[in-house]
Amino acid sequence: MSATAAQDRWAEATQLRLTWWRFRRHRLAVVSLFIIVLFYLVAAFADFLAINDPHATDARRSFIPPQSIHLFDEDGFNPHVYGLRGVRDRQTFQLIYTPDPNRKLPVRLFTRGYTYNLLGLFETDIHLIGIEGGQRTDGIFLLGTDQLGRDLFSRMIVATRVSLSIGLAGVTLSLLLGIILGGVSGLYGGWVDTLIQRVIEVLRSIPTIPLWMGLAAALPNTWSTTQVYFAITIIISLIGWTDLARVVRGRFLSLREEDFVVAAELAGASQGRIIFRHMLPSFASHIIAAVSLALPAMIVSETALSFLGLGLRPPAISWGILLQDAQNIQVLANAPWLLSAAVPVILVILAFNFLGDGLRDAADPYG
Amino acid sequence: MKRREFSVALMATTGLASAALAQSAGQVRESGLVGELEGPTLIDDPARRPTRFNEAPMLAEQVRAGRLPPVDQRLPQDLMVIQPLRSVGRYGGTWRRGFIGPGDSENGNRIMSADKPFFFDKTGTEIAPCLCRGFEVSDDGRRTIVQLRRGMRWSDGTPFTADDWVFWFEDLYQNRDLVAAPAPEMAANGKPGRVEKVDDHTVAFVFEDPNYLFPYLLAGDTLVGGGQTRQQSDGRAYSVYAPKHYLSQFLPKYTPMEQLNAQARAAGFTTWVQLFRARSDWRLNRDLPTLAAWRMVQPITGQQWVLERNPFFYAVDTEGNQLPYIDRVQLTLAENPEVVNLRAIAGDYDYQERFIDLGKLPILLENRQRSRYRVHLDPGFNGGDSVLFPNLTYTEDREIGALLADARFRRGLSLGIDREQLNEAFWLGLGTPGSVIPDRIIPESPGEEWRTKWSTHDPRQANQLLDAVGLTRKDREGYRLRRDNGQRLRIEIAVAQTLSPTWPQQAEMIVQHWRQIGIAGDVKVMERSLAITRALNDQNQILMWTNNGTESLYLYPRYALPVDPTAGVMGNAHALWFASNGERGTAPTEPEMLRAFQLMRAAAGQRLAERTQTAKEIWKLAVEQQWGIGLVGLSPAFMGVRVVSERLENVPARTGVSQHIRTPWGGHPEQWYFRS
Repeated sequence: MSATAAQDRWAEATQLRLTWWRFRRHRLAVVSLFIIVLFYLVAAFADFLAINDPHATDARRSFIPPQSIHLFDEDGFNPHVYGLRGVRDRQTFQLIYTPDPNRKLPVRLFTRGYTYNLLGLFETDIHLIGIEGGQRTDGIFLLGTDQLGRDLFSRMIVATRVSLSIGLAGVTLSLLLGIILGGVSGLYGGWVDTLIQRVIEVLRSIPTIPLWMGLAAALPNTWSTTQVYFAITIIISLIGWTDLARVVRGRFLSLREEDFVVAAELAGASQGRIIFRHMLPSFASHIIAAVSLALPAMIVSETALSFLGLGLRPPAISWGILLQDAQNIQVLANAPWLLSAAVPVILVILAFNFLGDGLRDAADPYG
Repeated sequence: MKRREFSVALMATTGLASAALAQSAGQVRESGLVGELEGPTLIDDPARRPTRFNEAPMLAEQVRAGRLPPVDQRLPQDLMVIQPLRSVGRYGGTWRRGFIGPGDSENGNRIMSADKPFFFDKTGTEIAPCLCRGFEVSDDGRRTIVQLRRGMRWSDGTPFTADDWVFWFEDLYQNRDLVAAPAPEMAANGKPGRVEKVDDHTVAFVFEDPNYLFPYLLAGDTLVGGGQTRQQSDGRAYSVYAPKHYLSQFLPKYTPMEQLNAQARAAGFTTWVQLFRARSDWRLNRDLPTLAAWRMVQPITGQQWVLERNPFFYAVDTEGNQLPYIDRVQLTLAENPEVVNLRAIAGDYDYQERFIDLGKLPILLENRQRSRYRVHLDPGFNGGDSVLFPNLTYTEDREIGALLADARFRRGLSLGIDREQLNEAFWLGLGTPGSVIPDRIIPESPGEEWRTKWSTHDPRQANQLLDAVGLTRKDREGYRLRRDNGQRLRIEIAVAQTLSPTWPQQAEMIVQHWRQIGIAGDVKVMERSLAITRALNDQNQILMWTNNGTESLYLYPRYALPVDPTAGVMGNAHALWFASNGERGTAPTEPEMLRAFQLMRAAAGQRLAERTQTAKEIWKLAVEQQWGIGLVGLSPAFMGVRVVSERLENVPARTGVSQHIRTPWGGHPEQWYFRS
């Protein structure tokens, strides 16, 4: 390809294409995008990927340490785990688990387990992996179990659904509020602008944790987990919209004076046409970047609220709730694997931040 | 033959301890953490009464400064002489302990237990002197005479006499503004009794019908035997005496009403009753005179709740040293039970049994050397460390109220719980799953077949029972639907964040078990005082609590039957009805409950053997009707895991764990001391 051809390509490319080219050069952002897509796939197929029923308690498998799958045995490739025998230590009263070499449990793909509803379409009991045969208490515990004997791996997978969707829902709500209020503020200016900006400042000056605590404490004790879920989403987005509103307002203010907007105005275009046809596309990429940076904040908010016992409540499963189990001293001393619920939180937050970074750079392809 | 007789005699003396262990705590015993029941000895022999007295250095200083009379003028003529458990101690030190907030009154109340009329011996069965030196019951059981200690004084130096008892009876107890519901303990066969002054240091309790039980009630943790600190705080005005010289100024009878109202307004209250309640509450008012070993110097509302020695305390050791040995008790606020456990593990407490979680035993044991404490396990005698109490008089939701009042529904819920699972997960396998009945060594226990009655895991039968109630329709997820509006039936379990840190998780596990019988449960975790307030107003659907204390049915019947309106866990409208003789509250419709009430009323007029039989009948009814759904008990889970500083001396190897032994008071903290 000659230099001119490349230049032509640049000249002819749409903005979206230019953005994509620019984004591709940000390696970390591309990897992050991949990770985030993976996370949302996990969330969508959570029950399929979960190995054990995330709600099923069984004291006879309480605090099992993480277990690994053995891939080979004397016959070659034959993934399996060993059945566990739990015996209580007479001195320390702890349950000590020892693998029983006589009870080899084959690990297979597409096994039958607990019943669930796949993508809200149909009921099934097929799971990606599982063991064949075995007793009621047997299972694969890749990340160990909690005090009630629930499989942490499965719970973490299922928690992804709540934690990630609460972020998305919260951001959508924030975005809506942010675009409307920020747009009005930037477009009309004057006292409307002043009022909205002061409201934003007041909202942002309130320390978030006490504000959440107050709002969360106001949730009636009688609400079901679903109601609490939505209420928490609203609480989180009530704070989140301010950032987005500022971004939108800033873009409106700067674009209002641009030549192409003035030209459109002089040509007699209606206000709606100017906003949606000319202005919005030119800063949509900025909004996307802002959203991807707002998402992790939402996810962390939910996790923090639930960890403090103010957000979602059991039996709902979210990362915050899983971390709540890791609050007590037995866990830190004797079951540190329960802390691993923090890993996906860190991963997804980092990924969103890198993605946002990449998007922000790419959003201005001429810059 | 001779040998055999000897061993029988030995069994009788070690009694409670060995039998209890044989039944429930084989594993505990092997750990070497359970000792023998023991305690200090009270010396009756006048010949061994010391004649020269010593006092703590901090008091001697005040005597020298002229702010306090000398020790021999502060002590009563009828001393309580205590032979310390192992050795005569030395004065000084602060007993560090944890509490979890203004709702945790019992934490301090128990340490003030020396103000109870009588107490129990170490086994919790025989009455021991305390505030009063003795009692006599007339042959017909209608008159109990109580002998006070001559020359005894309140913590401000004013003499304590029979007038204080009559004052309580006439001016507090009979004042309906202060005491809304009469104490069932102050009545025999439903007919109210009265208090009479015989002389300055003798009081008579007179009843129309025989009341052989009464002295036991004066020793137990009851409305009459609870002591001033326990029963005249938190809005109550029970117990059997009150400081007349101090409290009369807050009553309209002694002070003009206008003046009282002005005082009340000045203090931020609207009525004189509120003012009186605040002034008579030992937790809040440091001017209130007391008779206990320590008196409050910093109220419960702060970061530290501090008690300091009472210079007029009535007990001495065998060498004439005025007790207590320890100068101060300092209760430090911890945000929640988990923090109490953390601090105990860090060695921040000198003696803590309250809130210590059996589940943390492995870590407690691991850190013994590093944090310099000992760990003792004291198995309890009560059937349920955790009990689900369905509210029998729930009215906020008629459908749920009707279900909770239906014995079939309660039995169904009970049979839907896998208690073995709870025992393994939260009791380290050390408890005994079953109903609410006490250990078999308690004479009132109805027999072991009642431990499993309606209290095994039988989802099939549970489903049949729930179907029989009419809960036959289910939604797609298999949950039963309400009979009135066809919506999913949701039953709330109220769980207080107190006593056991794992109650919320236990409730969560039960909710999982109930999935199998189509019952959707919701766990509502709340702060202790909120849970109690809601219980008193019958607002909880099911409350998770303990039945600790009710191992002695008559002393503490509240967790077997709804008879105590001050502690409603299972239907307070019934309790009010019982206590007020049908004037207030609502009458039970269950014939079994009416029968149980009759039995309960009749018991006081029965002598010991007959009374014990009656108790068995009541326990059978309680299990049959599942008024309390027992989960797991007979374990050290409830205040039975003790963390004791290595420096603390005279601490029993095992103490009784019971409401009426007022754990930890059964270990007699007044004679503990710190080794230098």
